[in-house]
Amino acid sequence: MSGDAGFLLVLALMLPATGIVAMFAAPMRAPERLAFLLYPPTLAAVVAIAVIVGRSEAALSYTLGGWSPPLGLMLRADGAGAALMVMSAVIIGLVGLSALGAFRTPEGTSEARQPFAFWALLLALWSALNLVFLAQDLFTLFVALELLTFAAVPMVCLNGKADTLQAALRYLLFALVGSAFYLMGVALIYGAYGALDFAILRVVMREDAATALAVALMIGGLMAKTAVFPVHLWLPPAHAGAPPPASAVLSALVIKAPFFLIVRLWFDLAPYHGAPAANLLAALGAVSILSCSLLALRQVRLKLMIAYSTVAQVGYLFLMFPLATSDMPWETLGWSGGLLQIVSHAFAKAAMFVAAGLIAEALGHDRIDDLAGAARAAPVSVFAFALAGLSLMGLPPSGGFNAKVMLISGAVATEQWWIAVVILAGGILAAGYVFRVIGKAMADAGEGVAITPVPRSREAIPLALALCALVIGFVPLQPFAYLAIGRSTGVMP
Amino acid sequence: MTPAGLLLASTLALPLIMVAACIKPWVRARALDLLPFAPLPGLVTALFAPGGALVLAPDPMRMVLALDLPGALLLGGAALLWTGAGLYARSYMKGDPKAARFAVWWLLTLAGSLGVFIVADIASFYLVFALVSLSAFGLVSHEDTPGAARAGFIYMTLAILGEAFLLLAFVMLAAGAEGNPLIGEALASLPGSPWETTIIILLVFGFGLKMGLVPLHVWMPLAHPVAPMPASAALSGIVVKAGVIGLIRFLPLDVGLPFWGHVLTALGLFTAFYAVLVGVTQQHPKTVLAYSTVSQMGFVAAVLGGGMAFGSPLTGDLAAFYALHHMLVKGALFLGVGVTAAGGRRTLWVMLPMAALALSLAGLPLTSGALAKYAAKGLMHDDLGAALASLAAAGSTVLMLHFLRLVAAFGKPEATMPSAGLVLPWAGIAIASLLAPWLLLETVTGYAPATMLGLDALWKSSWPIVLGALLFQLLRRFGNRLPSIPEGDIVVLAEATTPAIARFGTAIERADAVLRRWPVAGAALLVIVLALGAALRVGS
Repeated sequence: MSGDAGFLLVLALMLPATGIVAMFAAPMRAPERLAFLLYPPTLAAVVAIAVIVGRSEAALSYTLGGWSPPLGLMLRADGAGAALMVMSAVIIGLVGLSALGAFRTPEGTSEARQPFAFWALLLALWSALNLVFLAQDLFTLFVALELLTFAAVPMVCLNGKADTLQAALRYLLFALVGSAFYLMGVALIYGAYGALDFAILRVVMREDAATALAVALMIGGLMAKTAVFPVHLWLPPAHAGAPPPASAVLSALVIKAPFFLIVRLWFDLAPYHGAPAANLLAALGAVSILSCSLLALRQVRLKLMIAYSTVAQVGYLFLMFPLATSDMPWETLGWSGGLLQIVSHAFAKAAMFVAAGLIAEALGHDRIDDLAGAARAAPVSVFAFALAGLSLMGLPPSGGFNAKVMLISGAVATEQWWIAVVILAGGILAAGYVFRVIGKAMADAGEGVAITPVPRSREAIPLALALCALVIGFVPLQPFAYLAIGRSTGVMP
Repeated sequence: MTPAGLLLASTLALPLIMVAACIKPWVRARALDLLPFAPLPGLVTALFAPGGALVLAPDPMRMVLALDLPGALLLGGAALLWTGAGLYARSYMKGDPKAARFAVWWLLTLAGSLGVFIVADIASFYLVFALVSLSAFGLVSHEDTPGAARAGFIYMTLAILGEAFLLLAFVMLAAGAEGNPLIGEALASLPGSPWETTIIILLVFGFGLKMGLVPLHVWMPLAHPVAPMPASAALSGIVVKAGVIGLIRFLPLDVGLPFWGHVLTALGLFTAFYAVLVGVTQQHPKTVLAYSTVSQMGFVAAVLGGGMAFGSPLTGDLAAFYALHHMLVKGALFLGVGVTAAGGRRTLWVMLPMAALALSLAGLPLTSGALAKYAAKGLMHDDLGAALASLAAAGSTVLMLHFLRLVAAFGKPEATMPSAGLVLPWAGIAIASLLAPWLLLETVTGYAPATMLGLDALWKSSWPIVLGALLFQLLRRFGNRLPSIPEGDIVVLAEATTPAIARFGTAIERADAVLRRWPVAGAALLVIVLALGAALRVGS
């Protein structure tokens, strides 16, 4: 479907971008007001796209200026892309609310550096995310990823301290390495086929060494940006050092974009890339799950623990490749389970980072061993942390449980037992690191522990995020038709 | 919604609504007062709604509640004990600054423990099973002592491990079906499934862990004694039955699997004797009771195995009947330990019922234990199994006499009157434990109550007691030569691996530090790309 409704896709990209321009052009007193002014229409556009895609059971597309690819650019929302756009919009809204406290422009000043940067970057990041979910050619996707990286990196060092600057630089440099790999792959593809558009490449791609190298370069570069073990070096310091709302967005959304692109390269360029490569990706995922869960167990600081848990949870995503191997991979449990893991981890992790921020605010530190009294100081936040923990452990009711059951079912059905065992072992380790925190937080504070109670209204936000992760636990345990919309026809409409 | 359906739904809903209500500070302040009321819908359901069913959510999400005979027996017993223990907790926990927190864990455990008896689909079963397993952690670790922390940690580790076993088993069971099948539907596909062996092993591990089958029993002698008294009663009486109902629901009992039946019987009987042997070396009455629970659940597993070996259609009902007896008796015994501790040690009116309850577990004639054992042994078709089951009763006698000796020395020496808030719930559960099996005997087992007064039945239940009493004399004589075995026995061996695990963790941390260096990470990325390229080339 295209035409008038297709313009919604442009709105989803341009509304947040307009906000950035407006912030520079007409410096209003408070950039957060502008951000919240633009939020409802953008959300409405995204939801409308998702509804139209669901109603018509077909992808919604829009060709810019009426020029069809390869000359022009096409935007296209399929079921999976639309679902991820809605997820991003909801999380950005809730995290934005949680940031109102820390990043409010002080009264009486026309602008302040930190709030201005945060809100401008948040809008840029949103626009970039939507572009990743909508773009249909490898180069536009490259641009989207770069925009995303450049919006995400400064968020790490908003406070300007030396250690966060170092973390941000590390992030930037490794992301650039990833970009370079990706770009090399794109160049190889363009050299071989003279085309970059998915729909065209899908028809003309051959099975030769150059193509294999190109795909490997692109996927490798994207893995560096997703942070899978052992190329995760940048993630823990960056995600742990950023201010809590920024950490939430980085861990929940930013790393999902390159992963979604890996999914698109894998499933949309050619139907199936063979068992050895799928198993290699899954093996890296498995190593991520096991080693980073163990590392999370041993962290001293809460935010570092959550960051290591992110690398572990990203590992689950890579398990979907050997599980979605039929001719119609998007109708398998592996596909639905993998995408559900993206969504439920996003909500759970956002909830955890925001909750951890409030706990740290209440106690004045985030050392896990000294968390006693946290349940008294910020009870709702600790509760939200525990609810989000359910999703990470894969216990019902939670989206994480459904995702893991689907992945395990896929593994059992195809008799790939090692995948089932890794998922279960990862759940046990996750239970370890979640309960370690909850156990300490529930203990009574000793004498002399200074506690600053947190307003309940702010604690409602991590709870809302955690409840989203919980509600996803009520989706049926079977492949979702919605996530397959627009996939079977890779060819242009 | 039918009345039966409404009752089933309220069984789960009321305790959960109470938990939600604890958000309000004025509810939290009197949270203990809620506890006796939370299980009442469950009690009514057990009495009036057997055979009822309710589809809470249709296919494909599916949440179905249903009440069959084993479910009704256990639901009724559990609701009754939760009520009694809840009344008891009102007095026992009064003045505890963490009473509200205790009440929330209590209500969650209660909801889950009643839930396992009434849900009929696999996903919901996993949900309520996880609820009872994980919430019980709050009861185990309520007292903020090092002992409670250790017990809580070991409990949690094993509970999560059990969840993992069960999840894999359930997924494999449901593999052929679309979405979330009913337990019965999934079970129908088990015989002949290529994974039959794996599934049965996983189920026995997962549920056996909850029941405390050796060697998965180690958490029980640690966890049950450290909890506050009413919570111990609930844990040892009710929560372990989640494992029993699991085996009843998920094992193909009526198909007749001789091999697996015999394996389960052997495992159960080994557990029954092992727990007695370790139990008699213990010096705390609550620990002895916990070992007794291990032993009794071993007996239930043996009986289930006996029934499964021959595909007896009554297996589930009779095992549940036995479990109901154990539930009420063990609950009353734990509550009774609290009554004696509060000052009833020298008083006959406390010690006599305690003796009757304790020996009921060994099958003292005319008690619920005699009825339950008589009925359950009907499932042991081979002579060796039946003889060993009777010997296990002798073992129980020794263990219970040992318990009585300890509990007699447990209370304060001066006889004071324990508060009515403790005595009345204890007495109520004790009386219920005596009466309920008589009332249910004919309905469930088909035996007329008069059978129990016949010479055959009396002889069968008496001789193990006599034998046990004789053995106990030996224990009294030579008991001081027994080695002292720590609570949780072989768990100590597992804990000895802690330094090795810590070293492994340190090694992983060091490896991570190396991998996070720039040159290493860059090289790793390059290797990944090359390997991926090669794999893509090979695969295409």
